[in-house]
Amino acid sequence: MRTNMGTETPSAVRSPSDLAGSLFLFFVAGIALWQADGLTFGTLEAVGPGFMPISLAVLLAGLAALLFVSSLRRNGEALAAWSLRPLVFVLGAFIVFGLALRPLGLSVAGPLAVILAGFASNETRFFETAAFGIAMTAACIGLFKYALNLPIPLAPWLLGY
Amino acid sequence: MDIFSNLSLGFTVALSMQNLMLCFIGCLVGTLIGVLPGVGPIATIAMLLPLTFKVDPTGALIMLAGIYYGAQYGGSTTAILINIPGEATSVVTALDGHAMAKKGRAGVALGIAAIGSFIAGTIATLAIALLGKPLTGLALLFGPAEYFALMILGLALAVALARGPALKAIIMIVLGVLLSTVGTDLDTGEERLTLGLVGLSDGIDFATIAMGIFGLAEILKNIEAPEARDVVKGSIGRLLPSWLDFRRALKPVLRGTLLGSGLGILPGNGAVIAPFASYTLEKKLSKNPSEFGNGAIEGVAGPESANNAAAQTAFIPLLTLGIPPNAVMALMIGAMTIHGIIPGPLVMTKSPDLFWGMIASMWIGNLMLVVINLPLIGIWVRLLKVPYRLMYPAILLFCAIGIYSINNNPGDVYVTAFFGLLGYLFYKLGFEPAPMLLGFVLGKLLEQKLRQALTLADGDMLAVIGRPTAAVFLVAALIVIAVSLSPTITRKRDEVLAE
Repeated sequence: MRTNMGTETPSAVRSPSDLAGSLFLFFVAGIALWQADGLTFGTLEAVGPGFMPISLAVLLAGLAALLFVSSLRRNGEALAAWSLRPLVFVLGAFIVFGLALRPLGLSVAGPLAVILAGFASNETRFFETAAFGIAMTAACIGLFKYALNLPIPLAPWLLGY
Repeated sequence: MDIFSNLSLGFTVALSMQNLMLCFIGCLVGTLIGVLPGVGPIATIAMLLPLTFKVDPTGALIMLAGIYYGAQYGGSTTAILINIPGEATSVVTALDGHAMAKKGRAGVALGIAAIGSFIAGTIATLAIALLGKPLTGLALLFGPAEYFALMILGLALAVALARGPALKAIIMIVLGVLLSTVGTDLDTGEERLTLGLVGLSDGIDFATIAMGIFGLAEILKNIEAPEARDVVKGSIGRLLPSWLDFRRALKPVLRGTLLGSGLGILPGNGAVIAPFASYTLEKKLSKNPSEFGNGAIEGVAGPESANNAAAQTAFIPLLTLGIPPNAVMALMIGAMTIHGIIPGPLVMTKSPDLFWGMIASMWIGNLMLVVINLPLIGIWVRLLKVPYRLMYPAILLFCAIGIYSINNNPGDVYVTAFFGLLGYLFYKLGFEPAPMLLGFVLGKLLEQKLRQALTLADGDMLAVIGRPTAAVFLVAALIVIAVSLSPTITRKRDEVLAE
């Protein structure tokens, strides 16, 4: 992104971060309008199910347009860099936990999630995290399964529940 | 007197062995989780909701209230001991609390925070008991139009209180309300904005949003930019404040309580501004303002009391009107509905034991925090020395088990991961997520009341907004929005929030 040097060809965008934000909001409003396509808007006497979603999506798009305009006129933040590694491993660990819980049980999904999450940080030591994950899972099984009696699968492949 | 018979009913309920135990466990576990850096009350409550499932409704709410106060106190502990405020409201506590800790007075800071909170809690509990009845009566006079207008006012206040540009706060609120429309329409049964996903036909569970944005995204932020953990070395010092400390702190505590109680009642999360307002006030009133930031006990006592008083009076709109003024109260609604209680003016008349039992247990919970936490500080200090590389996978595991257990649904785990991503995106784009949560929380009720109001008025929008009380609320909302959009006010508010 070129910065505004005060010459005759200034960069049009003053706040790249807000510009990106407004584009994201247009995208969200677009999805909402597309999804609300088949819904009845209704009248004021008989408000239909589409009334709120459509009005809100239009309102959101309007506000996004204001943000878009302001990003061209007011100086603001540059786009912030994303760190992909934590994103992939933290969210990945969470999703893997969800996928593994029913078929494999907490006894497997727990340590798996902890170990995977460990990869998100470069300070992690593998064996320490693995041992910690097993210990934490055991503690959680004691708390949630036995003390609180919540219906969490433990190890269906071994115990059948 | 009516109030005394009501309160004594409440204490009979709250002092039963089982409820005392639940309150105790709630406070203890709430503090334990709340002490973890980066885990605020919202994530704590979302995580611990399943703990309350097997208990009767009254017990569950008592336990949740305990978890809430515990989490708040845990946040203050983290702020004082390691200078990492768990959430916005303990930012102020970190300033002077941590400075006190560095001078070897961590114990006194924690002690005065607990004692101040207890005094504030006592007064705020009385305020709830006094105001509960008249406000409930008022609530019964409200029609859908008034409810709708009051919620709009609440959202407008949330814009005024949010950090950053007002336009972005408004955007986040609209987005939150939009998200609340996802799921089956209650009137027609039609599915809305579900993207064809079966898991979304029941709508988005509020706990998944709260956990994604305040649990997962927080972990992502912390791994990326580790906050310097400045664990207090050496002794914590004595716990009980000296008589001199106490005398210095007493007036700030009382002023903070008054300020917090008033702000907490506001729909639109007035609680968040309470500690900031108290800190600014104490600094203005102080004879030596230069002490502030260097360990002034007033700078801990005032904001902590304001915080706790506001946390408590925030129950008033929930219990009397059924309107949650902030995300924590929205989780309380979730817990109430799980147990088949519809929050609102009828709770008080239909189940007085629950209503007054909970109010009494608020006071007991505050007392318990003083009693159990002061001796446990040593344990919290040791816990805070656990490196983050081990702490965050544990937090993640608790979040995952907690969110799964709410509905026993792996789908909720994926939705939470999605909101974690969204929270991270908002952080990168400079959007404050709190107003979105409030928009989401009020969204369904907002739509329902608007539709009812329009039906009652035969579609005449002017008749809806022209009803006197509704009109007053709406005009007030307009003024609040206009004021928060004006640049000078924005600058002043940012100054207060930045201090």
